[in-house]
Order: sequence, then structure tokens, then C-alpha cells
Amino acid sequence: MKPPRSAYPWHWRVLDVLERVVETAWPRRFTKGLPHAMLVPVVLLVAILIAGLVEMLDSSFRVLDTNTFLMSDFYTLDNYRRALTENFFQSVATRSFIASFIVTAITLVVAVPYAYLMVRTQSPALRKFLLVALFFPFFIGEVVRAYGWLIILGNQGLVNEFLGLFGLSSVRLLYNYSAVIFGLVQYMLPFAVLMIAPALTAIPEELEAAANSLGANWIRTFRHVVLPLARPGLVAGGLVVMTLSLTNFAIPAMLGGGSQDFMSNVIYDQFFRTSDQGLGSALSILLVIAGSILVGIIFRLFGTGSLAIKGARK
Amino acid sequence: MTLSSVDREPADADPTIAVSVRNVGMRYGDFDAVKDASFDLPKGKFLTILGPSGSGKTTLLRLIAGFGEPTTGEIFINGEPVNAVPAHRRAIGMVFQRLALFPHMTAAQNIAFPLKMRRRDARTIADQVERYLDLVKLGGYGGRRIDALSGGQQQRVAIARALVFEPDLLLLDEPLAALDVKLREEMQLEFRRIQKELGVTTINVTHDQREALVVSDEVIVMNDGVIQQKAQPILAYRKPENAFVANFIGVTNFVHGIVTGVDGGVVAFRSGGKDLRGIAGGSAPQLAEGAQCSAAIRAEQIRIVTGGETPDRFEIVVEGVIADTIFEGERIVYEITVPQLAEASLRVFDHDPAAHTQFQPGARIQLGWNSKDMHVF
Repeated sequence: MKPPRSAYPWHWRVLDVLERVVETAWPRRFTKGLPHAMLVPVVLLVAILIAGLVEMLDSSFRVLDTNTFLMSDFYTLDNYRRALTENFFQSVATRSFIASFIVTAITLVVAVPYAYLMVRTQSPALRKFLLVALFFPFFIGEVVRAYGWLIILGNQGLVNEFLGLFGLSSVRLLYNYSAVIFGLVQYMLPFAVLMIAPALTAIPEELEAAANSLGANWIRTFRHVVLPLARPGLVAGGLVVMTLSLTNFAIPAMLGGGSQDFMSNVIYDQFFRTSDQGLGSALSILLVIAGSILVGIIFRLFGTGSLAIKGARK
Repeated sequence: MTLSSVDREPADADPTIAVSVRNVGMRYGDFDAVKDASFDLPKGKFLTILGPSGSGKTTLLRLIAGFGEPTTGEIFINGEPVNAVPAHRRAIGMVFQRLALFPHMTAAQNIAFPLKMRRRDARTIADQVERYLDLVKLGGYGGRRIDALSGGQQQRVAIARALVFEPDLLLLDEPLAALDVKLREEMQLEFRRIQKELGVTTINVTHDQREALVVSDEVIVMNDGVIQQKAQPILAYRKPENAFVANFIGVTNFVHGIVTGVDGGVVAFRSGGKDLRGIAGGSAPQLAEGAQCSAAIRAEQIRIVTGGETPDRFEIVVEGVIADTIFEGERIVYEITVPQLAEASLRVFDHDPAAHTQFQPGARIQLGWNSKDMHVF
């Protein structure tokens, strides 16, 4: 018996037709391979990255012939010897590493209270303000932001003009190590907060109330309950900040004014100023290796944090 | 000013009183979560605050714990006013609704936490933790991570952690709500055993009336932020203060009518053309002739008049029609419509399981009860 018309409304028919069309165009057996097919773009991207690295590895073993400006066709370790022994490169590497440690430490110390306040505040207005304040710098590029600091901290900048109002002579605030550190902290803060906030959100407020009722004041609650439980976020945030600082280019270039170069700046100079592709490649490879070792040590010491893939912990 | 100084003294500085709540109110914006709550709890007693969700029971408990300060009134613990004392300086053990065990610590570390915060020495901490693990029957489980323990074991860790520092007061914020029935009943008795063993004054919050009746020395029934009744469980059940309490505890039927006469404690009223009588409910009944009234009667106090029972055993006999039959295992519950009582719907338990008779919907039966079991509000 034919079912009554109301039992089979028109929009069911339309969907049935659509389903049949889909079935012919994309048979079900294709669907099984779909998740794998979706990986293709990622695999391509990674492949290109690896191809680039291999190419760099190759040129890092060739030296530049200063007469012909061509790369040698024999392999040598000369570039690595220079990169590892020359004082200039050593001091740049030390500067970059120490800066990345300092920046990470300061950023985490500032980011934790910020993230905590953002997650725990009862006031929706304050939370919104903190979020907007956090995201706003993202809309402004790194270079523009560094330029902003030039305007504020320069010799004729806002700060010095303000000091001048009180008859104070202008202070040199730019083109030194602290200016670079300052700029980096300001640049890294949103990254750290965004990595830490989810870890704090995952801590039930009841745990803090419990610690409180068991005799812990807020400082000890923070130390014994909040920080240990937020560790995955702290490790992840710390790693992101450290690796981004270590490899940063624009801020040391602009706020350091050439006197505070990081490894990226030196690599840039090799490629685009002296055109020594070999030495540049060697420095790049060394930076990749050093960075990887650093990340590996942190994974070993503190666990993989929230960067871990499920099941990899413990 | 003199009034407030009077308010700030406990009713009588009675050393046997552990907790004294005096006219406590809590206001959020223009919502009163707790209104003018007052009660005294003697030391060593087990009090349950019973009420539906949103009744203010948890708010009251959190005020006693020190999470927030009451808008009005004062709370005294061992005779001391504590409104200005922060939670971490009150010696109160609390078991939270979702237990709030620290997931990054072992069972033993969780239990040691309050002792560590009190800076006891390592030896004392180790001994005390061991003792309390034994008390909650978790000896040997100290090294387990929290997520490696079952729900019941986690409950026990939470209790041990709340008690290990020998607090003045133990607060239970519905910690059993999430457990399945079997485990919940087991843990209720376990709470009772531990509480008796240590003699610690306890305040329990729950919406489970059975739990309140089983475990408590005293029950407070709350609704809409107001304490409706404070009594021993048996009295809260037998002599409900008002219709809310009568309805909230037990399976209760209501018959609505109009008062036709009041004689001492006995109220005569008329419902749907039938004259009934009951006893005036509550401590201060306000029933006058002609007033609307609701009469409450427990399901188990209404009998189905069948072969074994003769109608003359009951003062009141009415005729009803079975509307629904609910098989609950150990008993059968009938929903019965009584046309004589303005179509009142009564729930009645089957008290004759040996007969294996089960009335089907539509069957006509006779119901009987006695006037002393009816509370008129």
C-alpha cells in the first residue's frame, strides 16, 4: 500500500535524490580512503620543507669561491669549522640562547597571572577586555609593533620627551640588549597566555576551594595545586616562546639596531649581504640542530606538556 | 546598635554547641539564596540539610565553610564568631560534590595535604596518614594515583583527607550524589560509621530524603532559601511542619478541601462532598472555618480494603478507580482516582504481596485510612 503523502514530504524526496547523486558521484568505497586523502596537502608541505633542508644541508658542505662567487663542487667541513670556532658566531649564539631563556622566564612569570585572571575572573567585562588586549597585538604585525617601540623609546621618543618635561636628559633606551628582551617579551606574551589559559581552564575551581578549606592560603594553593596542574600549559607555552625567541629576526634587527644580532640576523646577512650561501646554510643547520636539542632536553626534563599527543604521557 | 551587639553573641555561650547559625542571609544581586536561617548544632551530631536544588542548602554550607561572607547574620563555631575568618583558617574538613581530590598527587599525598599546610613534621604526617587510610579501609592503597582508584575508594580518600587534621567540623556537600544506588547506600552507612567512631560534628547536604533519614541525628528541610523544619528524622517524617516538608519527605498524597470545623487539634473539612477529619499539622496551625486546606497522607497509610481487611477497621473508606499500576519489585504502587474526593489522585502501596493479586487499571477498589494519619495544613 502506498503510504499517505504526509508520511513522505517533499523535502525528504529532495534529500533522497541528492543522496543518490552523491552515491553515483562518490561511491561509498571511496569514503574509506578519504581521511588518508585529506593528509595529502600536509604531506606535501612537509616534503617541501624536508627537500629544502636537504638542499641546505648540501650547500652547507660547499664553500664560496670568492673569485668566481660560485659554490665549490667538492664537500668540506670548512663552513662548520668557521661557524663553531669564530668568536663572532659564538657570541651571537650565546646572545640568542641567553635572550631566549630570559625572555621565556619573564614571559611565563607575566603570562601566568594574566591567564589566571582571564580564566577565573567573575566579571565578563574584565575577561573580554583581557582577551581583546591579548588579541589586538596579533592584528598588528611584528615589524609594525617594533617600529612602534622605536617611536616610543627613541631618543626623541615619547618617553624621553616626557622625561624632558622634568628637565631630565634623554636616556638611551633603544639599541641595547634590554630593549630586545623587552620587545621580545611583549611580542611573546600573547602566545604564552594562549597556551597557558586552556591548562588553567582545565583545573576545576573546586580544587582551589578544597585546598583552601584544607588550610592552604592562596599562595600555597597556587604553588601546590594550580602550578603543578598547569604544568602542561607552562611547558608548552615555554617551548613556543623559547623557540620563537631563539629564531626571532625582526625584533633584534629593529630594536637592537644591528648591535644585538641574533642567529637569524646573521644567517640573513650570509645569504643576502655576503651571498655566502654555504656559511648561511651551515649556520641554519646548526640552529635547527641546537633548537631541536634544546626542545629535546626540555621534553626530557618537564615532559611534553600539552603538546603531547594523547597516550604519549606517562 | 545594642541590637547588633546582641545578635553577635551566640544564643547562649553553651559549650556543647558546635555550630550556631544566627539570622544568616545571603543575597546575590536581588536574589536571596538564604533567608534568615538560624539553628544550633550540638557537638558530635550528624545534621543533614535536605532540600531540592536551588533551595539554598549548598549556599548555607559554603557560608559555614567560609567561602563567602553572609550578607546578614553571624555564624559561630565553638562559640567564636567566624564571619571574618577566611576558609583556610577555619578548622573545617569538607568533602566536595565532585570530591576535588588533587589529581597530581597519590592517595597518601592527598591525605597528607592538610597536615603539610599545617606544617606538621614528616613523622607525624606519615603516622597520621597511615591511621586515616586504615580508618577508611584503604590500608595499602596510599601509593595509588587518584585515577587508579574506583569511585568508592576516591570517596574514602576524600573523607580521610577532610578528617585527617581532626577538624572541629566535617561538611559534606552532596558527595554521594554521583554514585550508583548500591554504592551510595554503602557509603551512607560508611559515613555514619566513621562519624560515630570519631564523634566529629557533621553537616551533610543532600536532596536525597532517604539518605537524610538514614544517616542523620537531625534534619533541616530547606526550600526557597528558608528553613522549613528542623527535627529528628523520625519527627520530620511523622510530624511535618508544613505541606512542603510533608511532600518532600516520603510519598505523600494531598487532598484539598475547605475547613468546616476546628476542635482542638482535630480539623474537620469537606472535600468534593465528602466530610473528612485530620489532625492539625505544624507547630502553629492557622486554620479557620471556611479556609482552604490541604490534607497530607502518606501512601503507606492508605490501605486497599480487600479480603483480609474489613472496612470497619478504618474511620474513612472511599471508593476509587485504578488509573495506573506501577510494579517496583518489592511493592506495587497504584495510582488511584477517587471521584468522591473531587477526583483526587492518590498513590497507594500494595501491602498484600502474598496474595499475588495485581489490580489492573480501571478496576474499582475500596480504600481506607484513619484520621490521625492525616495532617491538615
